Amino acid sequence: MSIEVQNVTKKFGDFVALDDVSVSLPTGQLTALLGPSGGGKSTLLRIIAGLDTADSGTINIEGTDATRLPAQKRGVGFVFQHYAVFKHMTVAKNVAFGLEIRKRPKAEIEHRVEQLLELVHLSQFSHRLPSQLSGGQRQRMALARALAVEPKVLLLDEPFGALDAKVRKELREWLRRLHDEVHVTTVFVTHDQEEALEVADEIVVINEGRVEQIGTPDQLYDEPANDFVMGFLGEVTQLGSIQLRPHDIELSTAPGLAGAISGEVTRCLRVGFEVRLVVRTEGGDVTVVLTRTHARSLEIAEGSRVWLTAASGATTVPAMVAV
Amino acid sequence: MLWFSLLVLIPLAAVIAAAGEGGWDGYFQVLRNDQTWAAVTLTVGQAGIVALVNIVIGTVIAWVLVRDQFWGKRLLDVIIDVPFALPTIVAGLVLLSLYGPNSPLGVHWAFTEHAVTLALAFVTLPFVVRTVQPVLEELEADVEEAAASLGANRSTILRRIILPSLAPAIAAGAALSFARAISEYGSLVLLSGNRPFETEVVSVRVLTFIENGSTGSAAALASVMLVVALVVIVTLDIVQRRVARRG
Repeated sequence: MSIEVQNVTKKFGDFVALDDVSVSLPTGQLTALLGPSGGGKSTLLRIIAGLDTADSGTINIEGTDATRLPAQKRGVGFVFQHYAVFKHMTVAKNVAFGLEIRKRPKAEIEHRVEQLLELVHLSQFSHRLPSQLSGGQRQRMALARALAVEPKVLLLDEPFGALDAKVRKELREWLRRLHDEVHVTTVFVTHDQEEALEVADEIVVINEGRVEQIGTPDQLYDEPANDFVMGFLGEVTQLGSIQLRPHDIELSTAPGLAGAISGEVTRCLRVGFEVRLVVRTEGGDVTVVLTRTHARSLEIAEGSRVWLTAASGATTVPAMVAV
Repeated sequence: MLWFSLLVLIPLAAVIAAAGEGGWDGYFQVLRNDQTWAAVTLTVGQAGIVALVNIVIGTVIAWVLVRDQFWGKRLLDVIIDVPFALPTIVAGLVLLSLYGPNSPLGVHWAFTEHAVTLALAFVTLPFVVRTVQPVLEELEADVEEAAASLGANRSTILRRIILPSLAPAIAAGAALSFARAISEYGSLVLLSGNRPFETEVVSVRVLTFIENGSTGSAAALASVMLVVALVVIVTLDIVQRRVARRG
C-alpha cells in the first residue's frame, strides 16, 4: 500500500472537515476522491501533502510515517485547481524549479525539463511566460513541474475544475493516458462523478467528512453502498419503495406484469437521443428515460396511461422514508 | 495625452528653456558653485539613503500588515498614511519639537545631517508600504504551497518566489520615495536649519536663487535635478526587471 491514512480527524473551529477517516491507496493506481463540495476531500488531499495537519490520526507514505513531516520532505507532487504558476518564470523555469533547488547539475536539469515538456506537449512554449498560456496549458505545465522531482505520489486538487467543459474532457483523457505511461501513484479530487468514473481505477466517495464507499467505478455504479452513493453517481428516481436509475425502469402501455405501478405521463421531453418522461403515480412523480426509438414504438405522448416496473438486473437501493 | 502634455510636458519644457538661456556656461557656472554642489550631493545622497531604508523597512511593514495578526493592526494601517496627510510644514514642526533644542527625548539632531535623514524618512515612509501591500495581498497562498511541495524552504520561497513578485512594487515605491525626497521642502525648512554646506538641500537652494532674482540659475539647478530623478527612476526600473526575471 502506498498511502495509508489512519483515523484522521480534522476540525476547522466547530466544523468537522474529516471525521475519523481511514483509507489505503495502492501503489501505482489512479484514485479519485469524489464527493460534494465542502465534503472534506480537498482537506484530506492537503493533509496527505502536508499542506494542512490533521488534529489526530496518522499518514503513511510508501512505508514512511509522514504524519509529522513538513510538505518539503514528503516526496509529494501537488497540482492546484488554479494552477499556482510562478508568474515571473518561464515555462521551462517553472518546471526546473524543484530540480534547481535540489542543486542538480545544469545539463541534467535541462535534459529533464526537455523530456517533461515533451511529455505534456509544451516543448514549443518553453520560453513563454505562464500568462501567455491557456488554462489547459498552464495546468499541464503545473503537472510537469510536479512530476519533475519524481514524487512518490502525485496529488491533484480539482485539477480541471477551472477549465471549460471541452478542455476538461480532453485533459482527463490525457491524464489517464499519462498515468498509463508514467505509473506514479496518483490521487485526484473531483466533484464531477463522470470525471471520476471515466478516469479512476478506484473511487473513494467522501461526504460530510466520512468515507461512504471505496470501490472500482463499476462496483460503485452497480452496487452502491447506500442511497447517497447511488444518488451522487448518477440520476435516481423513486418507484414505489425503491430508488433506481430512470433508465432502469421498464414501461408498458398495458397492465400485465405483476407489481407494475400505473400512472399518467404528465411531461414528455426530448433531449438528443433520449426521451425523458415524468409519470404521475399514486406514490409521486417518477422520472423515466427511454431511447427515442423505443418511445416512438410505444407511441407515448403526454396524457398516456403507462405501467412501470423495475427492469431485471436494475441497481436499486431501498428508498429513505419520508424525505 | 493632451492632458499629460498640458500638465507635465509644457512646464518641464519651460524649465529647460529657461535654464538654456544661459547656455552651457550658465550650467557650469551654477554647478561649479561649491555651495550648490554641496546641496546637490546632500540631497541626492540623503534621498538615496532614505530610499534604501524604505525598501527594507517599507517591505517589512507591508509584510507585517498583510501576513501577521496582532492587536491594533487596523490602527497601524491607518497611521501609516499620516505622513501623507500631514502638511509637510506641520511634519517639520512635529519633528522639531521632538528632536529640537528642547527635545523631550534628549536627542538634539535638529540642524544636523541627521535631521535631513529623519525628515525625509518620515515623509516618504508610506510610499513603499502602500505600493507593496496590495501586491502582497494579491499573492496566492497556493503558489507558496506549490513551491513548498517542490521542496523549497521558507527562505528559498521568499527569495525566489515572493521577492521577485514584489520587485516591481518595491521599485515603484522606492522611485516615488526618492522623487519625493529630492523635492522635499516643507519639513526640512524648519528642521534642518538650512546651513550652507551642511544641511542646505536643493529645493532651499533653488528658492534662494529665485529670491536673489537669478531665475536662470534656479532653472539650471532644477533641470539638473530633473535629470537625476530620471536617471534614478530608469535605473530602478532596470534593476526591478533583473530581479523579477532572475527568480
